[in-house]
Amino acid sequence: MRAPAPKTPPQRPSMQEPDGFDRLYRDHVDLIYRYAHRLCGETESAKDLVQETFLNAYRGLKDFRGEARVSTWLYTIASRACIRMRRKRKGEPEHELSLDEFVPTSEGEFRLQIPMDGLTPEEALQNKELRQALDQAIDKLPNKYRMALVLRDMEGLSAKEVGNIMGLNERAVKSRLHRARLFVRRELSARGITNHDDHKSGGLRS
Amino acid sequence: MTKKKTAFPKKQSGPSSHHHTHGQGQCVDLLRQLSAYIDDELPSDICQEIRRHLGACPNCEVFIASLQQTVTLCRHRPVPPLKPADRVAMRRAILNEANVR
Repeated sequence: MRAPAPKTPPQRPSMQEPDGFDRLYRDHVDLIYRYAHRLCGETESAKDLVQETFLNAYRGLKDFRGEARVSTWLYTIASRACIRMRRKRKGEPEHELSLDEFVPTSEGEFRLQIPMDGLTPEEALQNKELRQALDQAIDKLPNKYRMALVLRDMEGLSAKEVGNIMGLNERAVKSRLHRARLFVRRELSARGITNHDDHKSGGLRS
Repeated sequence: MTKKKTAFPKKQSGPSSHHHTHGQGQCVDLLRQLSAYIDDELPSDICQEIRRHLGACPNCEVFIASLQQTVTLCRHRPVPPLKPADRVAMRRAILNEANVR
């Protein structure tokens, strides 16, 4: 009679291990904080979201089967928690972004520009107004569009990974991403920020 | 033979095809595909068609440049690092909450 095969230790964090949660937290808290900050746009809300995410992860760890990567699992928990928290705070229904609203209606609108000619993105973002305009544009985005933009363009995940996290197919992810980018582009351009490396203030024409 | 997919409907006119009304027709069709173009997800024949259009349409060229810049800025948007004290305090708060609830 064949002896039973020795059990192999699980490759995922486990609450059975005394330091299971600590390892999960230590290895992923920076990633989730960065994601939370990008979604929330400020530190206190980001910290709330991180805590909510890891609290849910703590409770769900025993059911995590390791089919997805741990980071994907945590991104998913954080995304759901973010939707719940923002809904509670803002209390308003999400609005849809239609492609039609981004069709420029005048030549001037078509040719609105973002002031970063000849600058690296890091240099361009030294312009406080541009950075604030970017933050505000992202904050104004409805949740589902902001999430697609953050996951894809800031966290650098593939459309497929974003789809797994948001429960969407790739086509829907790309559609949301495109609308989100067009929204941010319009917000940035419409602010009319001037190219002013040597100006300390001013520049907003509107 | 199968017909090639086109990025947007071909214009009927000849030499004057570079002049068109913005907000309509080719430019609008292009606008729908700009992210896929930026992300290099379109077949090469469609990319070529788009490049041809961009070469002939300064408005679309500026538009796509500003969208590309938007994506670049998003990719480089700075995030402050998590402070060590916050890391410790949050861990404690999570574990307290988990044991209380």
